[in-house]
Amino acid sequence: MTELVPALPVAVDLEAFTSLGFWTGVGILAGIYTIFALGLQVNVGFTGIFNFGQAGFMAIGAYSMAILVTDADLSFWLALPIAILITMLFALLIGLPALRLRTDYLAIATIAAAEALRLFALNARDLTGGAQGLFGFDDSWDGVSDSILNGLESLGWSNPETLFPLFLVVWGVAILLMFALTFLQKSPWGRVLRAVREDEDAARALGKNAFAYKLQSLAIAAALGAIAGFFLALNLRFIIPDEFLPIFTFLGYAVLILGGLASYFGVAAGAIVFWTLFEGLRFLELPFDEVQIRALQFIVLGLVLILLMAFRPQGMFGNRQEMVLGD
Amino acid sequence: MTDAPSQPVAADERRPARESNGRPIFAAEGVVKRFGGIRAVDGATMSVREGSITALIGPNGAGKTTFFNVITGFYRPDGGRATFQSKPVLWRPPYAIARLGMVRTFQITKALSRMTVLDNMMLAAPDQPGERLANVVFRPASSRRREREVREQAIELLEIFNLTPLADDYAGTLSGGQRKLLELSRALMARPQLLLLDEPMAGINPTLGRRLLDHMQRLRADEGVTFLFIEHDMEVVMNHADRVVVMAEGRVIADGEPHEVRKDQAVIDAYLGGTA
Repeated sequence: MTELVPALPVAVDLEAFTSLGFWTGVGILAGIYTIFALGLQVNVGFTGIFNFGQAGFMAIGAYSMAILVTDADLSFWLALPIAILITMLFALLIGLPALRLRTDYLAIATIAAAEALRLFALNARDLTGGAQGLFGFDDSWDGVSDSILNGLESLGWSNPETLFPLFLVVWGVAILLMFALTFLQKSPWGRVLRAVREDEDAARALGKNAFAYKLQSLAIAAALGAIAGFFLALNLRFIIPDEFLPIFTFLGYAVLILGGLASYFGVAAGAIVFWTLFEGLRFLELPFDEVQIRALQFIVLGLVLILLMAFRPQGMFGNRQEMVLGD
Repeated sequence: MTDAPSQPVAADERRPARESNGRPIFAAEGVVKRFGGIRAVDGATMSVREGSITALIGPNGAGKTTFFNVITGFYRPDGGRATFQSKPVLWRPPYAIARLGMVRTFQITKALSRMTVLDNMMLAAPDQPGERLANVVFRPASSRRREREVREQAIELLEIFNLTPLADDYAGTLSGGQRKLLELSRALMARPQLLLLDEPMAGINPTLGRRLLDHMQRLRADEGVTFLFIEHDMEVVMNHADRVVVMAEGRVIADGEPHEVRKDQAVIDAYLGGTA
């Protein structure tokens, strides 16, 4: 065994591995996934509803924002809250029929709704640009980004990373949202959410309108999805339907499981570990080509999840006792 | 979105003690619930006197639990009427019925497992403005004030039911008997005028069962709570209930004082497996 190790040409390309530009990119992705999966945490971890359509909410948020800016000539800053409201309204529209379904049926209904939306975006070319996508919605953001870059330079960082302002803003928003959600969760409102997660009928028998709370939970998740969508659009500078494939939601669940259920800060930890592992693999100098490395990323991710389930099923920040007591 | 306007309830509000005064607090008339071709509840008519401890008994499959589910809004009725304090209750959603003051427990206890015992209790309290999202953000003071009251009440009740040492444990770690006590005390946190208990004595040891019955007597005397409870075993009922309603095959076949019901031929037939 020991003889095999030096024979394997495994080494870490240290220079690229320590590149700030690379880690800025990974950090932005981790931040976007954090915000995205915070929504899943509200639903799955605290309300017990299995929302598999989160990528769809992200799509509505991003498209609404871009369409309002490019077609309706609305200010970018005004388009953001309006897009969040549109996304929340859409969540209510989907939730009114779908939240009456039980867990697995709700999962099917939400994933179908998200896919229907993506296919609509692909085909409604006049509105969404179809597969060509939308761009030119981020001029206002560029102005902000430039002034942050100038600020960084005046602080003594010559030639700062161009994406660093986005990194700062994504994580600033993510941290703010984590604190806000943790605050809400500790309120009597959050207690009713957990009661609905534990036993909807018990909550109703004690005078709580469980359905209304599930609707609110879904609407909040949708708003978080929309915010993640804004940052995704700013990161890529264009919006195409392929950004909103169901895999985005599934990876969001991987982040959730890694971090642990019923913990908002666990979501951030999960997203950071996920993206570090996922992208960091590229810097192992392995005797594989690009396509094989891409496959390897998923193999390693799968292995990590299997090992986690075996040795720490509650995730990094989950509560072991809560997990054992849950059915 | 979730709360009907309601008056705040003073923490130390105590209703005057009173015995059964004969006025019905709850009345059902011709309640029907069908499942496919089966009429699980087949025109049940009964009433519960205010301040009474009324038992609802009957052989297996008599429709007792189904009747409970219909009058508490968990099943949609196929016919009939029911009123609580002269307000119609059928067709209202369960949470609205609970808020009227008609609170139920379940045959299989529903402890909220991954919440502490204290959280289970505090959840049940009515009139918490902090249960509305907008109030959490814009009226945090009133939410905190109510939270302090509710915590005091919860601790008081836990003391009465000997659950204080378990207050910070997850409800899922409790034994079956402790869960029954938690469910009863949690239902009391909701400040019911009528408490509907589905087999409160099932699955717990006789000592605890007696304690539960003592609690019911005291709550009726101290707080004026009216009880309607389902019980399977007729003998348990005879010594503790002051009214007994007997169901068989979806209908109410007798309604009266225990000693009257005991001698009722229809009841004897139903329990001995005759054609009721």
